[in-house]
Amino acid sequence: MTAVVTKPPRRRSAATRGESLSGWLFVAPILVILGLFLAVPVLMALWVSVSDWTGRGSPFAAGVGFVGLDNYRELLSGGGLAERDFGISLRNNAWYVLLVVPIQTAVSLLLAVLVNRQVLRGRGFFRTAFYFPSVTSSVAITVLWLFLFSQSGAVNKVLSFVGITGPAWFNDASGVLHNLLGLVGVTRPPAFLAEHTALGVTLWDWLAGPSVAMSAFILMAVFTTSGTFMLLFLAALQNLGGDVQEAAMMDGANGWQRFWSITLPQLRPTLFTVLTLGLIGTWQVFDQIYTGTQGGPQKTTLTPAYLSYTSAFSDQEWGRGAAIAFVLFVIIVALTILQRIVLRERAVSTRRTALYTTGAGR
Amino acid sequence: MQRRTARLAAAAALTTISVLGLTACGGSGFSDTSDGAGEAGASGELTSSDDALSVLIAASGDAEATAVTDAVAAWSSESGTGAEVSVASDLPQQLSQGFASGEPADVFYLSTDALAGFAGNGSLLAYGDRLSNADDFYPALVDSFTVDDQFYCAPKDFSTLGLIINDDMWAEAGLTDADVPTDWDGLREVAAELTTADHVGLAFSPEYARVGAFMAQAGGTVTNAEGTEATLDSDENVEALTYVQELLASGDAAYSSDLGAGWGGEAFGTGAAAMTIEGNWIAGAMSADYPDVSYRVAELPAGPGGQGTLQFTNCWGIAADSPNQEAAVALVEQLTGTDQQLAFADAFGVMPSIESAAEEWKSANPDEAAFLDSVEFAQGVPTQDGSAAVIADFNSQLAGLEDGDPTTILESAQQNFAAILD
Amino acid sequence: MTATLPLEGATPAPSPLAAPPAAPRPAGRPRRSSARVAGTSVLYAVLIVIAVIYIAPFLINVATSFKTDPEAASDPLSLIPATATTAAYRQLFLNSDFPTWFANSAVVTVFVTAGRVFFNSLAGYALARLQFRGRGLIFVLLVGVMAVPTVVLLIPKFLVINQLGMYDSYSGMIVPLLTDAAGVFIMKNFFESIPRSVEEQARIDGAGTFRVFWSIVLPMARPALVTIVILSFQGSWNELSHFIVSTQSPQLTTLTKGVASLASGQLSQGSQYPIKLAAAAIMTVPVALVFFVFQRRIMNASDGAVKE
Repeated sequence: MTAVVTKPPRRRSAATRGESLSGWLFVAPILVILGLFLAVPVLMALWVSVSDWTGRGSPFAAGVGFVGLDNYRELLSGGGLAERDFGISLRNNAWYVLLVVPIQTAVSLLLAVLVNRQVLRGRGFFRTAFYFPSVTSSVAITVLWLFLFSQSGAVNKVLSFVGITGPAWFNDASGVLHNLLGLVGVTRPPAFLAEHTALGVTLWDWLAGPSVAMSAFILMAVFTTSGTFMLLFLAALQNLGGDVQEAAMMDGANGWQRFWSITLPQLRPTLFTVLTLGLIGTWQVFDQIYTGTQGGPQKTTLTPAYLSYTSAFSDQEWGRGAAIAFVLFVIIVALTILQRIVLRERAVSTRRTALYTTGAGR
Repeated sequence: MQRRTARLAAAAALTTISVLGLTACGGSGFSDTSDGAGEAGASGELTSSDDALSVLIAASGDAEATAVTDAVAAWSSESGTGAEVSVASDLPQQLSQGFASGEPADVFYLSTDALAGFAGNGSLLAYGDRLSNADDFYPALVDSFTVDDQFYCAPKDFSTLGLIINDDMWAEAGLTDADVPTDWDGLREVAAELTTADHVGLAFSPEYARVGAFMAQAGGTVTNAEGTEATLDSDENVEALTYVQELLASGDAAYSSDLGAGWGGEAFGTGAAAMTIEGNWIAGAMSADYPDVSYRVAELPAGPGGQGTLQFTNCWGIAADSPNQEAAVALVEQLTGTDQQLAFADAFGVMPSIESAAEEWKSANPDEAAFLDSVEFAQGVPTQDGSAAVIADFNSQLAGLEDGDPTTILESAQQNFAAILD
Repeated sequence: MTATLPLEGATPAPSPLAAPPAAPRPAGRPRRSSARVAGTSVLYAVLIVIAVIYIAPFLINVATSFKTDPEAASDPLSLIPATATTAAYRQLFLNSDFPTWFANSAVVTVFVTAGRVFFNSLAGYALARLQFRGRGLIFVLLVGVMAVPTVVLLIPKFLVINQLGMYDSYSGMIVPLLTDAAGVFIMKNFFESIPRSVEEQARIDGAGTFRVFWSIVLPMARPALVTIVILSFQGSWNELSHFIVSTQSPQLTTLTKGVASLASGQLSQGSQYPIKLAAAAIMTVPVALVFFVFQRRIMNASDGAVKE
């Protein structure tokens, strides 16, 4: 749908000058607003993260000193509570990302494929039902989730119908991976894992998996974002031509093979978008933690974004809060680039190319 | 050529707008220095103006909000200075945002753990010595609010922890007045007797603010007397945590969070527990939310180190940036006076912070005398800068006490606390 | 791509919705149709189960808001309250600041939506159609700005709002939200797809740039504008962190901030779920209404937005 834009010949005339001025005037509002409230804050945060501003008056005032990378050092190698809290928050968020992104991508793709089936009547109803949670506020959903997943809540009631006693969900700080390992008898960590630490957290604790409380948040994330991504996949699916599918069917490929080898590769751009949006979103979990558990139980739902907020606004450690935010920024950018590299279109090898150019081999 | 000029002009205009925006309007911050402009000392001048005072509080309920609003309104009409009370939804955050914006509330609730940070960055006025009733406050409370030998703010009230007992469940278990536990063994037995299929014997919140009472009873402290060394990993504290761990493991005691309650008082009020460890504020909560539960208050039992409990207090903070500090000090003096404190005590159950009101309070609240009597052996909570984060971490580890190791937990807390004392 | 075989049960859908044809049907094999019916039934069954999982929480939400506190705790799953009561709603509307929160959210949302529609379309048009130096640079900057995660902005936005003297005021709440990079992109993409002939005709007739934009191009952009309206409404109604850092007085609290404080027990000691769920339910109603009314548009418009 993108029209080919041909540049009009540059005519030095009053009309062009007027257009140039109009152009600038038209973008001026967004430049001012985005500049003031997006660009400038980033620079300001950078300054605060390398200063010792304590929270009173302006950070650019005379008495505020430059402390270099002290805040970052304390965060990444300080050996104290700051480093440990940061390590814990990274661990929590990493597990969250590790679980949410693949699950929400898979679920939204599945939903899109199901809803896209031609034989389906009431497509609009299903589409609406799956997309509706995405329009609600995270605050409202968190409140609802706190109720559904309470000890005597709806979820545990449903689990009891099949004979399972549900956990206390938002009050349960035990790591899911640790629990699973406990089921097969592994309750004590091997010495190597228990002794070595990274960012103040033992390797054994890094491998604890998300806590049960965090798992409730993971389910909530999938619930609220699968609808949006389903729409993206739906749009892409509807653009796929059917002739390649037909050709594959002629060649005897079954539905599953068709999906993997034909549909999925063609969805690559959308897949990339969904994964990128997912990565960016999941590393910034804040609203749900602020509303729901405030980092508990036992700091297992503490995330870097929430830690950044509490360090600054509750503990008066503004430099540290800003430093956390920037480290998070770097992580997000790095992961996005990594993902782009991993998912890039690889040049097809010559051997494979030969297969195609000599006609579809039998 | 003309296009380039237009572009440069536009870019210049844009930059100007941004720079102007940054510096012009709210530039009050730029002229501030961020060192301790907070002390007014004995020779310093207090600011004075006709501005109305803004009072920011965190109310435990409607009773407190109404009581404070009425008291402030009364002072306002007497003195002729306007004053307005607002109830914070998140006091620490609103305070810190207020200070950072240069327009904080004039008078506000300040907790012991917030004091050090705000005193350190010069946000507070140290006015304690200016009050005419400065000598009347309990010395321990004055200590809690003294930083660098400056008495920063007047304690507004205080509370201690006591053992709250459900009378009906007590009688059902066949217990009498003589059975009120006076030592740890007694507590263990009583909790066991009171535990039934429907409720546990004892419940309390999983935090230092409750478990710390046991630590005090074992004779343990957070720091040494001078406050120069952390003593969290002492044997006494280990003994205390081991005792609590045994109580939890036996099933006769439980954390309120494990019972699905938000705090010990809720577990107690809903009947999930027969006893709880809470402070004076429980009176207000019980009458407002659980009026049908009849209960009594007893002193906490003694441990190996004698009797012990924790005391909690808040003070009336005054902002250094307040344009009308004189009126603020006058307001605080009124609010900490005997009559007003007794009125507050009546409205929402706290204890007056001045010694002269003690007897009157006890005779007005005979049921809660145990709280006031506990002052003898009460320990204050740590107030050092950064202690809030250490305690928060300690709390998160205490939540896992039942399956954890007391020594490890205390050593970790010790390490963290030692770090902030350096 | 048109299907060559007529499909059983296919609704006469327009071609964009055409799915790839089902397995080709060799002549005379009755077994196929029963297999297909079975397959379709399975499809429906799966979809219905998933739809129930997606809808049930909201039904429970509304149902519980009409229950009493004890019943909410003891019987969380039932959709019909044993004793229906409006106590939660009464307390919300009569005994709390809820009406203020609602009003604040409404004010902010209206201004932000109007602002975004206007400013985003202005900028989108300029980037799509107008020639001026630095246009490419601005485009790159916009993309860069979209890459900044919001968490980085939490603290410094507070500082900037502070310095500008907009802290704790409606302007502090509204102005920073008045535009967003994503919206500019949506408008830009849409404007690029409009044929130039109409504009050129207007130019030849002597209309100035703004007139061309306002009277001719903008009315043609209705689908994209509707998308912006929906996204802005949703974005500002559901915004939380910005309101946390830009306000502190109770009179300026919005719905999100207020309900968040409700959830942490400000209004009530203990777990009084019906009132919290009532607040969550009411908070969802406006955004759900906008969604249902305009959902057709967003489903179609997002096709255009994504096809890049």
